[in-house]
Amino acid sequence: MKRTAPLLTLLAGLGVGAVLFVANTIVSQPHKAPPRSGTAVQAAATRAAPTSAAPSAATTAPPAAAVKKITATWAGKVDGGKASIAIAAKEGVAVAYLCDGNRVEGWLRGTAADGKLSLSGENGDRLTGTFGNGRAEGSVSVGRWTWTFDVKTVTKPSGLYRATANVRNAEVVGGWIVVDGRQVGAVDGPDGTQSAPELSIPSLTATWDGAPLVAVPLS
Amino acid sequence: MSTEFTGPPSQPPSTRPLQPPVVATARIPVVPPTPPAPPSAPAAKRDAPSSGRSVALLLPLLVGGGVSVSLGVYGRLHTPSGIAVDLAGFSSPLAVKVWLACGAVLLAFVQLLSALAMWRRLGGFSPSWAGTLHRWSGRLAFLLTVPVAMHCLYAFGLATYSPRVLIHSLLGCFFYGAFTAKMLLLPKKGLPGWTLPVLGGAVFTALTGLWLSSSVWFFATNGVQF
Repeated sequence: MKRTAPLLTLLAGLGVGAVLFVANTIVSQPHKAPPRSGTAVQAAATRAAPTSAAPSAATTAPPAAAVKKITATWAGKVDGGKASIAIAAKEGVAVAYLCDGNRVEGWLRGTAADGKLSLSGENGDRLTGTFGNGRAEGSVSVGRWTWTFDVKTVTKPSGLYRATANVRNAEVVGGWIVVDGRQVGAVDGPDGTQSAPELSIPSLTATWDGAPLVAVPLS
Repeated sequence: MSTEFTGPPSQPPSTRPLQPPVVATARIPVVPPTPPAPPSAPAAKRDAPSSGRSVALLLPLLVGGGVSVSLGVYGRLHTPSGIAVDLAGFSSPLAVKVWLACGAVLLAFVQLLSALAMWRRLGGFSPSWAGTLHRWSGRLAFLLTVPVAMHCLYAFGLATYSPRVLIHSLLGCFFYGAFTAKMLLLPKKGLPGWTLPVLGGAVFTALTGLWLSSSVWFFATNGVQF
């Protein structure tokens, strides 16, 4: 074995890593933080480049703003009113939460860029749609349920809130969609999904099973 | 070309009392080998050169530690993008990673077997090509892990929100440190006999742990997807 062979192996790995790093930097510009949330690993983002680069001609955006990364929150009831949806986008990185306040809920992550929403979640959950003119519309599939939605932009204190906590060694994730003072929320804990306790809005706290939950706004 | 690895043949006597750690690593996921006494015990008997041997270990191990710590610090400081490039042809970026990791783990088992053959631990089955197989399967396995790790590091960072994720994050940092240390130590002559088995075992154990905490978890939660 040549003495330099292991070093070359390391350098090859470093080279591949460097190429990917540069590519990543280009893909995710400006690399702004999505909220550090529990679903980060499950819901890896969809590729940004194809979604954002392709249909710039079709939309009304001027060429300079072809890749338009939006910061906005849309929330409301899905068509038919069985559940609520909130989509919070920050610089093009989007987190969505669908919840019926009882048993159905799902977190999704992805992109909101160039007028298009593309998010995915656990177990093949998906949300696709479009946004613009203060509205977001599209369809969302969570578990066995699929709904369409057409919801409007909301501003604080309306929006999407999320709390993660460790209650008696079990991870508990709570989500709340707040629209005009009305809340829909659920807590996913060791015993499955349950209705969320009331989220106190100024303090963003709630009590679940005797333990405190502290929520953060995702919008 | 294929027989001149720096392993056991160069130092048959010194490997004798040191076999236990080799056997231990072969039994797979025992915790990264904190080898029982050997570093100091035999070293004490071989007075003069022994200190030199341990010193030779120092720099590569420090560099490896530096790699681990740097990865961890970067993963913590860099705000996770949630997005990173991935390979086409799979249903999701996670599926890409999961299958690359499976490939790496498969090759890691080739690594284990070929290492056992090199160290004549397979009941006399020690073909001349074992060394070549070991080197190339290792290189390939390492290169397969790089895109996975870059995606983890860039899109997710070092996260701590659940035990699985914490363990995965820490093992990921440890893996590249241990691998770096092993690569830097490979060409060195006159190392203590346990060095390569212990480091190889650490790398193997870390990779297995990484795979269990990611791919296996992914299949368990999402089913087998491509």
